Amino acid sequence: MLYCTRKNIRAQTASQEKPQAQLKVSIQTESRKHDEILKNYETIIGIETHVQLSTLTKAFCSCPYNYGAQPNTSVCPICMGLPGALPVLNTNVIEYAVKVGIALNCKLSLSSKFDRKQYFYPDLPKGYQISQFDVPIASGGYLDVDIPIEFGGGHRRFGITRVHMEEDAGKLLHTGNGSFSQVDLNRAGVPLLEIVSEPDMRTGIEAAEYAAELQRLVRYLGVSNGNMQEGSLRCDVNISIRPIGQLEFGTKVEIKNLNSFSSMSRAIDFEISRQALLHSQGQADQIVQETRLWEEGAQKTVTMRKKEGLADYRYFPEPDLPGVSLTEEYVDGIRDSLPELPEMKRRRYEGMGLSMQDVLFLTNDNNVAEFFDATIAEGADVKLAANWIMGDIAAYMKNEKLSINEIKLNSHELVDLISSIKGGTISGKIGKEILFELMAKGGTVKGLIKEKNLVQIADPVEIEKMVDKVLADNPKQLEQYRGGKTKLQGYFAGQIMKESKGKANPALLNKILLEKLNAKS
Amino acid sequence: MAIRAALLLLRATPPQFSLKKRTFPKQALIFKQNNRNFAAKSSLEPPDVQRLAETARITLTPHEVEEFAPKIRQVIDWFGQLQAVDLQNVEPAIRADNEDETLREDLPEIFGNRDSMLAAVPSYEDSYIKVPKVLNKE
Ligand SMILES: [Zn+2]
Repeated sequence: MLYCTRKNIRAQTASQEKPQAQLKVSIQTESRKHDEILKNYETIIGIETHVQLSTLTKAFCSCPYNYGAQPNTSVCPICMGLPGALPVLNTNVIEYAVKVGIALNCKLSLSSKFDRKQYFYPDLPKGYQISQFDVPIASGGYLDVDIPIEFGGGHRRFGITRVHMEEDAGKLLHTGNGSFSQVDLNRAGVPLLEIVSEPDMRTGIEAAEYAAELQRLVRYLGVSNGNMQEGSLRCDVNISIRPIGQLEFGTKVEIKNLNSFSSMSRAIDFEISRQALLHSQGQADQIVQETRLWEEGAQKTVTMRKKEGLADYRYFPEPDLPGVSLTEEYVDGIRDSLPELPEMKRRRYEGMGLSMQDVLFLTNDNNVAEFFDATIAEGADVKLAANWIMGDIAAYMKNEKLSINEIKLNSHELVDLISSIKGGTISGKIGKEILFELMAKGGTVKGLIKEKNLVQIADPVEIEKMVDKVLADNPKQLEQYRGGKTKLQGYFAGQIMKESKGKANPALLNKILLEKLNAKS
Repeated sequence: MAIRAALLLLRATPPQFSLKKRTFPKQALIFKQNNRNFAAKSSLEPPDVQRLAETARITLTPHEVEEFAPKIRQVIDWFGQLQAVDLQNVEPAIRADNEDETLREDLPEIFGNRDSMLAAVPSYEDSYIKVPKVLNKE
C-alpha cells in the first residue's frame, strides 16, 4: 500500500463500493506515515528528451519519412547501412537544431561534428548510430516554465545541459512468443535532437511541466509535431533521492516508456515513494543503478535491466561526414526569424491583464494563441475574446475533436460577433447560436443575422405588443403575481423572450414587463 | 559481418582513416584534440584484446588473442609517434578535414532499386526483416 501515491490511494478508496471503516482508517494512517517519510528526502530529477524532427527526409539520405507507412518501404542503401553507402546531411537538420538551441537560450558551437556511437542491436543496421559526442551543437541553456495554479503555480527555470543531433534507430517488434523479432527500418536514420536537462526538477509535476514546455517549444518553432503517442517526443527520466542534508547524490535510476505527461508525473511519484520507503527501512542498498519501465496498467515501475558498468560506445569522429560549421550571420538570421516563443507570449498576455489560468490556456496551443492574437489585433476586447475562445469555442473543439484551424469560424468573424453583441445588434444568447453555426458551417456574422432575421428587437412599441399578448394569454399567472407571487416575473420574461424568438432586448423587455405587471388594472 | 566486426576492432584503437588521407602536420593537429579520448590512454596501456573482441561481439581463441595483440599494439605505437610532434603553435581542430560542407536539400526521393535491396535481406517476411529475438540492449 505504501507504494501507492496518495492520489492512487484516494482513487482506490473511492472505487470500493462499501469501504470498510477500518480499512479506510488504516489507509489514511498509512498515507500520513507515507507523507511523513517523504518529508525526509530530496528528489533530484533530470530528463533526456528525444525530439523527432519533422523534416521531409531522413537525416543522411533522401528517404521520406511518414509515420505509420508500410514497413520497410522508405529505405535505401544509406539508412539500411549497406557497405559503401555514404551519408549526406540534410540542411534542415542543422537549421532546426540551431532554432531549438537558440530557443533554449543555449550557447551554439560554431564548429561541431558528428561521432559514431557503436552498439549492436538489430534496429541499428550500421552497427553504430551517427550522433554527437564531445562537441554538441548547443549547450548551457535554460527553459522557463509556469506551473499551473492547480499544481501550486509559480515560475521555474530549468537548466539545459546540451542539445545534439543524431539519427533514430528502426523499430523492433517482439511478436508473440516466437524466437524471432521483426524489424522495420522506416524510422532508421530519421533526425532526432537529444535535449539533456540539468538535474533541476524536484517533483513529478515539475518534470511533466518541463516536458510539456519542450513540446510547446518545438511546436511553436515548427521543428517537430511533438507527438508523444507516435514517439516523436520521448522522455527518459533520471531520478535519485537522498536524505535531506546528505551531500552526495543517491543512486540514479532511469525510467523509460513514458507515453504522456501524466504518466511521467505518476511514474516519478511512484519511484520517489518506492525509493523513500527503501531508505526508511534501511534498505537503501537495494536501490541499484538500473533502467525501469513504467507500466501504465499496473501504475508502477518495474526493472527492465540493471546497468553493469558504463556501456562502452567507443565513440570516434564520423569519418564519412565533414564537420558542421555555422557562421555568425547564419545564426543571427535564424535568431531574427524565430517566432514569438511560449514564454514570451505568456509574459505578454500577462501584461495585458489576463489571469495565469487564461494565459496558460491560450498559449498552450500555438494555433489557439495565433487565433487569439488575430482577434485582439482587430481590436476585440481582450477579456471577451479570451472568454469566447476558452468557453464555447474550446468546448466545441473538444466535443468535435477539432483543432482551431479545422473549425469554420475565423478570427475576423469572432471579432464581428463580439462587437455585434456589445453594440446591441444581437443578444448574447443569439450570439451563441450564431457562433455554433459559424464553427460548424462557416459564413459571416452579418450574413447570418440578415438571413435569419436575428437583429435584436429594441423597439419599445414592438416589445410592448408582445408583453401585452403574453399577459393576456396567461390571466391565471397574472392574478397570482398580483396576489404576491412576484417570482412569476421570470416566467413572463421567458414567455415573452420565446415570443420574440430570443430577439427582444432583455433590459427593455424587463423594464416594460415590470411596468405592466405593477400597473393598477 | 565479420569484416565489419574486424573493422570495429581496429576502430577501437585510434582511428586509421586520417592516416591515408592527410599530410603529417594536419593529423598532428587532430590528435592534439583527440588524445584525451584515444591516444593518451592507448599509448600508455597495451590493448586488452579480449575486451576489444567482446565489445565488437566477436569470439577469439586464446591463440588469436596472442596473434592479434602485437599487431594492434603496433598500430597504436604508430599513433604514439604523433605524441612527439610539437603543437605549441597549432590551433586545435575538431575534425580531420577542412572540406567544404556538402549538405543536401530536404527533398524526398524514393530509392529506385528498393526491391532488389530487400530481396537480398537474408530473412524477410510480411514486410518485416526477421532477426533472432534480442531483448536486452547494451
Ligand atoms: Zn534512406
